[in-house]
Amino acid sequence: MEGKEALQTQHSDTIVRVSGFVKRYKKDVAVDGVDLEVRRGEIYGLIGPDGSGKSSLMKAIAGVLTYDAGAVDVFGTRVDSERAAERIKPNIGFLPQGLGLNLYPELSIEENIDFFAQLRLVSDRDLAERKTRLLAMTRLERFRDRPMKNLSGGMKQKLGLICTLIHEPDLAILDEPTTGVDPVSRRDFWSILTELLQEKGMTALVSTAYMDEAARFHRLSFLSRGKVLVSGTPMEVQTLVPGSVVTFETTPQVQAIARLKQSFKQVESLGPLLHVFTPTADQSEARLQINTALGDLVPTALRVDEPELEDVFVALLLQKAEHKETSDAQPTAEAGHGRDGLAIEAEGLIRDFGSFRAVDRVSFQVKQGEIFGLLGANGAGKTTVIKMLNGILLPTGGAGRVAGADMRTAAGSIKERIGYMSQAFSLYLDLTVEENIRLFAGIYGLDKRAMSERYRWIITMAGLSGYESSLTSRLPMGVRQRLALGCALVHNPRVLFLDEPTSGVDPIGRRHFWEILSRLAREAGVAILITTHYMSEAEHCDNLALMYAGRIVAEGSPVDMKRQVEHEAGRLFEVVAEHPAKALVHLRQAGFHRAALFGTKLHFFCRDPVRDRDCARHALEGSGVRVISLHERPLSLEDVFVYRVMALEQAAKQEAAA
Amino acid sequence: MNLRRIAAVATKEWKETVRDRLFLLMAFLLPPLWMVVFGHGLVLDVEHVPFAVLDRDQSSMSRDYLYRFMGSRYFDYRGSVKDAREIDRLLGDTAIRMAIIVPDRFEEQLLAGRPVTVQTLLDGTFPLHADTLKGYVIAINHAFTQELLTSFLARTRGLGPEEAHRIAEPVSIETRYLYNQEVRSTWSMVPALIMFSMMVASPLLTALGVVREKETGSIYNIYSATVSKAEFLIGKLVPYFVISTINVVVLWLLAVLIFRVPFKGSFPVFLTASLLFVLCATGIGLIISLLVRTQMAALIITIIIAMVPTILFSGLLVPVSSLSPGAQMQAHLFPAMYYTDVVRGSFLKGLELEDTWTDLLALGGFAVVLRLVAYGLFTKRPKA
Repeated sequence: MEGKEALQTQHSDTIVRVSGFVKRYKKDVAVDGVDLEVRRGEIYGLIGPDGSGKSSLMKAIAGVLTYDAGAVDVFGTRVDSERAAERIKPNIGFLPQGLGLNLYPELSIEENIDFFAQLRLVSDRDLAERKTRLLAMTRLERFRDRPMKNLSGGMKQKLGLICTLIHEPDLAILDEPTTGVDPVSRRDFWSILTELLQEKGMTALVSTAYMDEAARFHRLSFLSRGKVLVSGTPMEVQTLVPGSVVTFETTPQVQAIARLKQSFKQVESLGPLLHVFTPTADQSEARLQINTALGDLVPTALRVDEPELEDVFVALLLQKAEHKETSDAQPTAEAGHGRDGLAIEAEGLIRDFGSFRAVDRVSFQVKQGEIFGLLGANGAGKTTVIKMLNGILLPTGGAGRVAGADMRTAAGSIKERIGYMSQAFSLYLDLTVEENIRLFAGIYGLDKRAMSERYRWIITMAGLSGYESSLTSRLPMGVRQRLALGCALVHNPRVLFLDEPTSGVDPIGRRHFWEILSRLAREAGVAILITTHYMSEAEHCDNLALMYAGRIVAEGSPVDMKRQVEHEAGRLFEVVAEHPAKALVHLRQAGFHRAALFGTKLHFFCRDPVRDRDCARHALEGSGVRVISLHERPLSLEDVFVYRVMALEQAAKQEAAA
Repeated sequence: MNLRRIAAVATKEWKETVRDRLFLLMAFLLPPLWMVVFGHGLVLDVEHVPFAVLDRDQSSMSRDYLYRFMGSRYFDYRGSVKDAREIDRLLGDTAIRMAIIVPDRFEEQLLAGRPVTVQTLLDGTFPLHADTLKGYVIAINHAFTQELLTSFLARTRGLGPEEAHRIAEPVSIETRYLYNQEVRSTWSMVPALIMFSMMVASPLLTALGVVREKETGSIYNIYSATVSKAEFLIGKLVPYFVISTINVVVLWLLAVLIFRVPFKGSFPVFLTASLLFVLCATGIGLIISLLVRTQMAALIITIIIAMVPTILFSGLLVPVSSLSPGAQMQAHLFPAMYYTDVVRGSFLKGLELEDTWTDLLALGGFAVVLRLVAYGLFTKRPKA
């Protein structure tokens, strides 16, 4: 306590200071010595996979969780007792994890807001004023009287934000506010949050599991297994690991990967593309390194980009060498399934729940050996489609064939030919890895010989050697996920369904998992249908379908989809300018209506790369905003999704107006 | 203490409870349902016991003896059998619960002045039941023997029947049942069932109400807000207290109107005791909710904690005074016993405040202690 005054003078605008923070749950150490400093007016990000300690840290800062060692100072108060915690609470807004879980489902939007306001003793006049403004800003005013349980994910998220900020706290602590929300709502959320914070001079501490949101923070800490791996501004983090990302096509891909792996740690296959992180920032040097590694294989459509933050995090994680398991998986010497014919055919699938149409005329095809991604937010209808194709749920209309069997009539034989891995891995946590595999083999009726053969195959395929006799509950998430995959493959299915298999797994685990999947598809000819709400992951798929409100709104290969958006809307440019908020206004005034704020950067579309670019630069500099950099950026699938959904919403609005 | 915050918590809780159909049903339907089901089902009167006879004598005296059983409202005659083995079968199937075997030469022996033994076979599966049955059999047998003696005296000594009776039975007993003149078990059960229904429903409702918030994470709204512990606990309990109070009145009406149990005592005393008891019951629920994390755990623990002591030690089925000393001590540790005393007393004995104030005091004490324990257990900055 005695050093408090001295500490405070160090940084007068420091709002939160955490040092040597340790939190244990019984024997498990959740957070192990974290230091952190949040300054007034910034959005500070905590990034990391599930179980990295983000929530524990945020709760302790909010004064709703005890900790075991270290110090937490908020607004200059040492939060070390319930009494001290009570002192900081008037100025804090805390949104716990779980989409809409802290709201009251039976209460309407307005009643929820009122409750939070009354708890905080907000005066009636202030409440009325703020409510009107916040509801207008979040476009929720039409739904004032709708019970919270009938809101969509995006609406719940916005309501959660309103309720957290209704008393205008100095510090907003938001724990994974964007998890499970569609990209459009996510962007919406970020722009509302940014605007509110700026206007009221609030500070925010926000956590996320989406690596691609990292760029939105002023400063951030990347957490892994309870420790801070790296902290700083996005720019600082990026310069920590110099490198470039080389993307190209080459055949045969399998052979190319094997060669590249000898020189590079991060090699990913994204459909036909290869994505390699080279440890040099010099572009021509990077090209050269790739060409050398490839030998006589010729790369085509090669491009070199600045690495994304996710690449940086993975590089950092690999440097730590915590993950030795990267690639001990062996190529599968498995008699593959025939490549001919369609593995999955959906034709006009419809499913109604009462008056609600969860799936609306969904059609697509998946070939044997293809990875097909079904993308969309929670509640878009992805899981319902999978359940219908699996024969678990009868469709209201339409037809489907899976592995050559009609899903309406042959649900039994479908189940023998498919593997299914669900969101919550259906493993028995009290069994060892070996026992789990044998149990699933037994369920599918494998005989003794087939079982031991399959067992060995799964252990090598999923990289599980060394874990055979470990209890499943003790395994890290990534390993557990691979075990679940192995169990889904125990009966050698021709078609594999994966329902959000990567939620909560760290980036390296996710990459390893995708490596296995692409090998399964390429070498064993398994058809894979996967759902995910991580748009960045969808790049791995051969083909995609974007689902929104029960319908497929776009489909094709990732490259085609991007090309199409580029064709319609133009290229994507990124500006770094001195006053981002001001710059946004000027860009929109100059006719770039789709311009959006990304952390401290701005994104906008240009139809004519040369002319529009100059136009934007003039618009900004003409109004006194200094442009630090302005360059083209490759489109992400998230950009595609947002573009498509916005177009749809606009069309619906015009239709309604007409 | 800020009334606005208490009101906010209470209003929110009330709206949630009333709008959640399942919760609402549980709140208002379960207690009356229990009352009706147990009130009709938990009848402890032993009446209409099915029985069979094996009359080996087939004399007029043996028939006279057996008619006394057949004519009693306590027994239902199910026929006479020819063979002892048949009795075994009937008892085994629970077609009958008692059999009477009259030996041969029953009349002859009696007339010769020699004692005879009539064998009665009782189904001992339910000891209490069998004991009561045995009492009936002894009473009927006693009456028969008494008559034999009286008529013998009258015959041999030439006395009038009155005088013969007096000599045969010099000491007679006059029994008068107080409070429950007809010794109806419903009269005794139904008031105690008010206690039972409240004791299970109130803690359950309260515990689920709090744990529900823990399970979803909305409890963090409370943890992170400036609402104080006391404000939250009070606001949270108000709706459940109101619901429970409504239930007490409904149960009282059921007891008086449907079960026709006379209410002889003072209603204010009954109501005061009920309110204090509701405070205890919701307090137990609150404490459970602070110790567990899931609604499932809350459900199971509440049922165990609320039901077991209530059934065993509250005087619901067995009077506390006839429990073993250890069990009696345990009984005093639960508020249910004191409330049962007041409720039964108010209904059947017409007890007033001066007879029940110790019980009321005990209930008040429990209510305060349980609140303090809950306050101590609740923290807005938990360990996990």
